[in-house]
Amino acid sequence: MKKFLALLLAAMMLLGMTSAFAEATDTITVMVPPVTGTYLDDIDTWANDFMAEHPEIKVEVIKTSWDDHNSKLNTMANAGEAPDIAEVSYSAIGTYVELGLGVEIDQYMDADRLSDYDQNALDYMSLGGHVYGLPLYITIQALGANKDMLEAAGVDVAKVQTEGWTYDQFMEAIKNGTTENCFGFVFANSGVTAGDFLSIFGVAAGLTNSFTSDLKYAYTSDNMLKLLEAVETMTKSGYMPNYGVEAGQRMVMCQTGNAMIFGKAMPLFENNINKNNKALEANDGTAVENSIPVNYAFLPVPTMEGVTETCFGSVDGLIALRNNNTNDEHLKNVCLFLDYLCSGERAAAVDQTLLLDPVCKSGREAYVSPEGLDEGNVKSAARAISLVVAPPAGITSEQSANAKILMDEVIIPKFQALLAGETTAQDMFDAIVKEAQNVFGAENCVSGQL
Amino acid sequence: MMKSQTGIQSRRRFRLTDDDLWGYAFILIAMIAFGVFTLYPVISAVETSFLKYKPFGSEFIGLKNYQDTFSSSLFYKTVLNTLEYTVVVVPLSLLMAFAISIMILPFSKKTQSVFKSMYYLPGIASGVALSVVWLWIYDSSPTGLMNQVFTFLHLPTQNWLSSSKTSMISLMFMALMSGQGSNIIIYIAALLGIDNSYFEAAELDGATFMQKVRYIVFPLVKPTTLFLLVTGVIGSFQVFMNAFMMTGGGPDNSTTMIGLLIYKNAFEYSKYGLACAQAILLAIVIAIISLVQFKMMGVDVEY
Repeated sequence: MKKFLALLLAAMMLLGMTSAFAEATDTITVMVPPVTGTYLDDIDTWANDFMAEHPEIKVEVIKTSWDDHNSKLNTMANAGEAPDIAEVSYSAIGTYVELGLGVEIDQYMDADRLSDYDQNALDYMSLGGHVYGLPLYITIQALGANKDMLEAAGVDVAKVQTEGWTYDQFMEAIKNGTTENCFGFVFANSGVTAGDFLSIFGVAAGLTNSFTSDLKYAYTSDNMLKLLEAVETMTKSGYMPNYGVEAGQRMVMCQTGNAMIFGKAMPLFENNINKNNKALEANDGTAVENSIPVNYAFLPVPTMEGVTETCFGSVDGLIALRNNNTNDEHLKNVCLFLDYLCSGERAAAVDQTLLLDPVCKSGREAYVSPEGLDEGNVKSAARAISLVVAPPAGITSEQSANAKILMDEVIIPKFQALLAGETTAQDMFDAIVKEAQNVFGAENCVSGQL
Repeated sequence: MMKSQTGIQSRRRFRLTDDDLWGYAFILIAMIAFGVFTLYPVISAVETSFLKYKPFGSEFIGLKNYQDTFSSSLFYKTVLNTLEYTVVVVPLSLLMAFAISIMILPFSKKTQSVFKSMYYLPGIASGVALSVVWLWIYDSSPTGLMNQVFTFLHLPTQNWLSSSKTSMISLMFMALMSGQGSNIIIYIAALLGIDNSYFEAAELDGATFMQKVRYIVFPLVKPTTLFLLVTGVIGSFQVFMNAFMMTGGGPDNSTTMIGLLIYKNAFEYSKYGLACAQAILLAIVIAIISLVQFKMMGVDVEY
């Protein structure tokens, strides 16, 4: 009996020592949604590869869905239990920095590693002169169309894809493309998607960001009024639906021949449309109901008179966050894994799936161009990426957070009313100016033309 | 002498017997659950409402969150929206449940159960699933279900959820159509509790159906009506899911209820202090309205 007890105690001691050694490993948590169709499987492989290279680091992956990712992250962060690394859109960084959870990763990463990333994309992940995360990709959001219909409406598609077009040319095209059963243009405008309409067409009027280079609020400029008046004209034209269109409906309307141009659209949609074309050919019942074969064209947003052409881009990436376990040594490991996930083959794999160009040198080296894509669309996408303008340097976390609230509480709700024909462009503009001047002060808001 | 006797008596009075201890043991779990999940969060919310909340090191800012709330035009708009929703939905909901219960009552127990199940069915479906169905019904395109009904009736189609003229009405109609189940079950239980002799006496006196409802049924189910009214108003002031799922509060904040505003401040803008201040104000308003309801309607109610 005594021997048994002695053995038991020895075993317990050994177990205790093992766990003590086990605690010596640094555990990193990373929380991500399905960035691509295979991302949640890929990240397991990448984490295992990383752990094999760094046995002193253990990686735990928290997998979320797009639906609950942001709310889950927000709740965990506010409880002081944020994951070490999380996927966010650049516009959310201000909120986390304002909460004191952002990590200035430029203090924990070697400068040569940071220089792997394109400055334009890195600027999106920066606030107040500090880098808080690394970019995965720049999404470009513009317009998509049925190429054949567009050509039938008298549009030189190749020219538009390589040189851009004016707002007047666009209006002429959607006028010509409108028939009894087909709208010339449809944009998802129901609920919060109205915000996309504003952001994507904002660049048409020269509104590339909420703030100008001298950090003044831009949505109070005459450019905004010009944009709102253009939207008002579009909604009253009869060339687009005068009712709320859900996000999922817009591309379906193009696929069923009920719309010629649709937004928002991304280069990636070529895959979806080609897949549907193949399903129609195979006649296997998986194609969209009542759909027709569509030749997809990715188009730039038209530009208004006197405005330099740009494209609306948004950067999604991974940021490092503070939690109860944060210390300097841990943050170095976090940044090491953060860099690993956002560079090289990992970045290339994401960008290949999303049909986007990588935003880091190592990603470009590992990138293999997907085959079978329309050459015009590839050129149009590359041109659009080159036209994306990063947010100006020096925006503070407070400015960023306030701009988000102003957008959500004033601009988008008023824009929804404008789309429903319940307010005028001028009234909406006056409301924005009033609220913006309350929040930022009149001296920090642009008046007149940008 | 008298003093010491009184002291002994009071000590005896407060001495815990075994039965008392068992009683406390049985309610202990409920008390702990109440303390941890209700009392502590409320106290914590009051404390947080005076802070600029940050996970690591909040800052005391006094009454600023309350000042910001009272100076926000959006807050007043959400209060008005919530009041509008409550004033329409709660009374109509009670009226509908009462009328349906009266109509179900004459049937056999089996038929009653069938109707009760049918009306309660939406209650067991998740709010998200219900919202998806209603989004389909309110599809603003000409092929949307509700718009097809309107077209059939030669009425103009509507931009149901995207127009501030119809968005609130749409949410109210949805609440009325899918939230009657529990009210009907409670009303039927109350109606079954009315002694038949009242109706027999009324029959002998030649009372009409409406007279029976007015002079027998309505007074005798008044405690139930008061209960449903108070809980209905509380629930209506806290309404969140419908607006969150269906409209996101739009267009032009016409369906932003106070519950949705609190949610957005807490979980979208991470302004926990502001959200807590608004939640405390909401709790105070609900408490005042409930007290007024009890005072006004509870005078002649016996339990």
